[in-house]
Amino acid sequence: MIELAIFLPLIGGVIAGVFGTRMGDRASQLVTTVPMLIAATLSCYLLWDVGLQGNERTIQLFTWIDSGALELNWALRFDTLTAVMVFVVNVVSSMVHVYSIGYMSHDAHKPRFMAYLSLFTFFMLSLVTADNFVQMFFGWEGVGLMSYLLIGFWHDRPSANAAAIKAFVVNRVGDFGFMLGILGVFFVFGTLDFDAVFKAVPDVAGQSFEFLGMDVDILTTICLLLFIGAMGKSAQIGLHTWLPDAMEGPTPVSALIHAATMVTAGVFMVARLSPMFEFAPIALSVVVLIGGTTAFFAATIGLTQHDIKRVIAYSTCSQLGYMFFALGVGAYPAAIFHLMTHAFFKALLFLGAGSVIHGMDDEQDMRKMGGLFSKMKVTAVLMWIGSLALAGVPFFAGFYSKDMILESAFAAHTGLGMYAFWAGIAAALMTAFYSWRLLFLTFHGRTRADDHTFDHAHESPPVMIAPLLVLALGAVFSGYLAKEYFVGHDMNEFWGGSILMLHNIIEEAHHVPFWVKKLPILVGVIGIFAAFVMYILKPNWPAAFVARIRPVHTFVYNKWFFDELYDRVFVRPSFVLGRGLWKSGDGAVIDGVGPDGIAAATRNLAGRASRLQSGFVYHYAFAMLIGLVLLATWFLFGFFR
Amino acid sequence: MIIQALAFYLFAAVAVASGVMVISARNPVHSVLFLILAFFNSAGLFILIGAEFLAMILVVVYVGAVAVLFLFVVMMLDINFAEMREGFLQYLPIGALIGIILAAELILVFGSWVVSPEAAQVLTAPALPAGDLTNTHALGNIIYTEYIYLFQSAGLVLLVAMIGAIVLTLRHRPDVRRQKISDQVERKREDVIEIRDIPTGSGV
Amino acid sequence: MDIVSDIAVIRPELFVAIAGMVMLMFGAFRGESSTKFIYWLGVGVLVVAGVLVLAGPTGTSLAFNAQFVVDDFAVFVKVLLLIGAALALILAMPFNLREGIDQFEFPILIIFAVLGMMMMVSANDLMSLYLGIELQSLSLYVVAAIRRDTLRSSEAGLKYFVLGALSSGILLYGMSLVYGFAGTTNFEGLATLFAADSEASIGVVVGLVFIAAGLAFKVSAVPFHMWTPDVYEGAPTPVTAFFAVAPKIAAMALFVRVMLEPFGALVLEWQQVIWFISLASMLLGSFAAIVQTNIKRLMAYSSIGHMGFVLVGLAAGSEEGVTGILVYLTIYLFMNIGTFACILAMRRGGRMVEDIDSLAGLSKTNPMLAGALALFMFSMAGIPPLGGFFAKLFVFRAAINAELYVLAVVGLLTSVVGAFYYLRIIKVMYFDEAAEPFDKGLGREITVLVTVTVIVTTFFFIGLAPVLSGAEAAAAVLFAV
Repeated sequence: MIELAIFLPLIGGVIAGVFGTRMGDRASQLVTTVPMLIAATLSCYLLWDVGLQGNERTIQLFTWIDSGALELNWALRFDTLTAVMVFVVNVVSSMVHVYSIGYMSHDAHKPRFMAYLSLFTFFMLSLVTADNFVQMFFGWEGVGLMSYLLIGFWHDRPSANAAAIKAFVVNRVGDFGFMLGILGVFFVFGTLDFDAVFKAVPDVAGQSFEFLGMDVDILTTICLLLFIGAMGKSAQIGLHTWLPDAMEGPTPVSALIHAATMVTAGVFMVARLSPMFEFAPIALSVVVLIGGTTAFFAATIGLTQHDIKRVIAYSTCSQLGYMFFALGVGAYPAAIFHLMTHAFFKALLFLGAGSVIHGMDDEQDMRKMGGLFSKMKVTAVLMWIGSLALAGVPFFAGFYSKDMILESAFAAHTGLGMYAFWAGIAAALMTAFYSWRLLFLTFHGRTRADDHTFDHAHESPPVMIAPLLVLALGAVFSGYLAKEYFVGHDMNEFWGGSILMLHNIIEEAHHVPFWVKKLPILVGVIGIFAAFVMYILKPNWPAAFVARIRPVHTFVYNKWFFDELYDRVFVRPSFVLGRGLWKSGDGAVIDGVGPDGIAAATRNLAGRASRLQSGFVYHYAFAMLIGLVLLATWFLFGFFR
Repeated sequence: MIIQALAFYLFAAVAVASGVMVISARNPVHSVLFLILAFFNSAGLFILIGAEFLAMILVVVYVGAVAVLFLFVVMMLDINFAEMREGFLQYLPIGALIGIILAAELILVFGSWVVSPEAAQVLTAPALPAGDLTNTHALGNIIYTEYIYLFQSAGLVLLVAMIGAIVLTLRHRPDVRRQKISDQVERKREDVIEIRDIPTGSGV
Repeated sequence: MDIVSDIAVIRPELFVAIAGMVMLMFGAFRGESSTKFIYWLGVGVLVVAGVLVLAGPTGTSLAFNAQFVVDDFAVFVKVLLLIGAALALILAMPFNLREGIDQFEFPILIIFAVLGMMMMVSANDLMSLYLGIELQSLSLYVVAAIRRDTLRSSEAGLKYFVLGALSSGILLYGMSLVYGFAGTTNFEGLATLFAADSEASIGVVVGLVFIAAGLAFKVSAVPFHMWTPDVYEGAPTPVTAFFAVAPKIAAMALFVRVMLEPFGALVLEWQQVIWFISLASMLLGSFAAIVQTNIKRLMAYSSIGHMGFVLVGLAAGSEEGVTGILVYLTIYLFMNIGTFACILAMRRGGRMVEDIDSLAGLSKTNPMLAGALALFMFSMAGIPPLGGFFAKLFVFRAAINAELYVLAVVGLLTSVVGAFYYLRIIKVMYFDEAAEPFDKGLGREITVLVTVTVIVTTFFFIGLAPVLSGAEAAAAVLFAV
């Protein structure tokens, strides 16, 4: 029964994908959306059953691979962590499905889009329900593929294709690390089943191998390799460059894949592998460092961007940084808690932004918006809710989870923990600022849109607003309702055996000094107020301020020059190398000597061979005699030798 | 004995010399004539070893029929021999080289000839019961018994040669008038002669 | 020395000879109007001869002072070449009647050529071998020139005749050397002589080289192949089709028998000759074919290449190799007949076209024909699971087991080169801009022939087992001491 929650999206997606063009748009929307809604309902039940009733279980489906020492089963592992993820994925996905019916109403390829969405959901579900590394990798690559297809959904746009390829290639870097990690796990543990590996981890901890004359800790190495995979998927600093570009995809895709689900796969993976990471403290430190840095760095960029979706994208990047440093300090439940609340409010923000874009004739530049509150009140209110949740304003969902993370970081009492804490505080300030910058620029003040666009700006249809309402409920209440289970008193019963914490940092986080608890709220309010001053009261201040700090702004506006750096360091040398290998290596040497050379030689030989055929009968007779004499001579010499 | 030896060397020398002349003579008619000379000398050689039937056949068939036919063909065909010779000279060096190599090899081969001990015995033993059988009779004796299969096959080869010659040369030319005696005999007066009254003065 | 038992052994040959003469009489008295009937009569004679061959004495039987032999090998090959000749005759009939080659002698000459081939295959003496060859060759010279009014056909016949006479001379010279040094012309006699004498005399070896050269001419192996492209191109297409199969099969069988029976003990000597001509044939056959534009010339080089592959099996000098040869010849027969049937269908405005380019876009104008021709080309290139693949498989396996690695490697490489020009035809048919379509209506005979050969080529693997066991039994005869 519960398997349906996993396989309904697959069925819907395959039907829509194969028969979509014949069934028509409406039918394919129904055939994907209805199963998704059923699956979402089932996953609510699943969360209740597994999380609250504690019915953890693993459903063996079939033997997948049985080759020598490697035996893998296809199994659905339902523990609380999975149940939470399935719940998040299915609920957000079903809302996005519904929303897409409205958002994509003008698109010519609706069946394909719906099929992609459903298939993506299936891959994501198989990732989170994985019972072993390879099954997880299957889902991991599957979501990567669907992400590629969906970013490049409008394949007639060069920028979309470029973005899709970029996302794919950058993810390959991460996936390569992930793959090496999986191979390392198999090499060290001899199995890829989670349970068996987790059981064996304490024995392996502390062992080391020699590499280039250094002793390297085995578990740390494996965890770092796996974390590289997580960095790629979750767009952490260094491998983050694809995420903003991925906004080329349709907005529902951004909401589903690049905010709520796929990008959190890295977070999920580290949480799932907590029994391994817990024994690799150095790897955890790296996670804290990367997470804290990403949180801060992405927030700074978010301050300067003009594209409404890019602002939210960098915000996502930044929030993922929060989750990672929470993981790094060992506060896995806090990270997953934030993952869930973030999924709701970030999907809400994205879909809201989509609603704005939809209503503004595909305009995405905030400099050409403003004053839209009067035109689309519902959307504006919902965006406000999302932003309040994001900024961590009390009693909204983000408040509980974000504070928990910051408190955990503080409670870690390590140097890196403090670094992450202050980076997080700074990021919280900036988050509040750019969220309200977005709101003010979009909905308030005087409009900067041209008259035509502004006059035609309109509220979205109910089919788009309804999902927003559902997500808004989540953004408002999910934090308050879930906090006792996720990070409160019922935490241990709730999580069961799905997460291992060697020492309970959450418990310590409840006992941090008062100022630590209130500081995030304070900076949030300061950020909102600053945005209000700069964009409502004194709209000319931002320009003046930017002029004052021109070099810093340029640096930040250009995304810390990461793209340019990569272009110089990796892309162009690769191009030069590739071109060189192609032209001189492949073209001149391999083709020249190989296929082309042999072909030319063959042609040459063929020409000679057929020139022998002169047509004169005495030439022929002569050739026969020469051949005869040669053979006879050969024999005579052979005979006398 | 000495006369026999002398005759052998005479015939042999003339045969080889005329063989050379066949290919080196400028006039093709001379070539054919030298060919006939070579045949005659070969026939002489056959007689020396007591194969008079073969000698006669050689003279009758090759000299009497084949070579004379050759002569006719050469004289009737208009072949530009000067042109052919140019080609001959062009290929002479390499042709000579090949020829010399081949000759050298064959000399090597014959140099290794070993006469088996029984050969002398076989040679001295009379091939035929002396006096009883003529050459022709003896040949007939084995051709129609031991070698009947080969003999009949050779006959088939000749049959095919005959068919081939007819197929490739016989032409039915509709525009050539032939005498058909039966037609002539069967012709009736009414078929060919018509008598008409033509008024005088009106013309035909 | 019982003439009755001798005749029982040569019953099929005797029947063919007498039937040929009867047909000749019939034609001579009935004139040109009976040509079509004589064609069918010829086909019937070949079929009956096939039945007689199969109904002949089992095991090995000698006749006429051991000048003639019938054994499993002879039976296998005779059946093969009778099938080939019958198919070629059926193929020739509509073409010849349409093109004005209406001499009733044509089928009769084919019949006599087949008789010569049967005699070759059954030869057990150098003399009967020579007579068989001459009977066959003489008939072939004539049919090559049968279109006596066209320059190319006459030229083909003349070239074939002159060079054939030269090769006959070489062959005879070799035979006389062997006779001079060995003292016998009988195969068994030679075999016992060489088996007893460990060191072969130089005269015999040179004679052997000459004989091999003469036979290599008949199978058109390099460097005695020069006549092949010109004759294939010049002769009327059905004649070419006949040339490509029956004489090749007979000559190859004769080659195998001569090398393995009388000279079996000298395998180390002749293996080098065969090795060389096989290598040269494979190389030339594949390379020279690339630049051909005329499909008949292409088929000529293709057959040179195929003969090179077959000779690989002979070079192996093993029972396995001979089995491979027989399987190869079987499939070669059907592939070639099929291909030539397709070539015969290349008519435009009532005239034959022979350019490869004129096949352009055949897949659109005549998909069935294009499909059949493509299938034959794939088979010739040796693409599994078609027949051509198995043909190559067996000879190469024999070469590997005989440790002739150079031959096997060169064979594989030249197969690749060969695949190029076979695939080029497919490319022209399927991917080039469509040319003017060929005339519609292939004629019943060609349709049936193409269908049959397509089926045989495609499903050869189903019938592989019986063919293989037959070939194995035939090959075993040559190695029975």
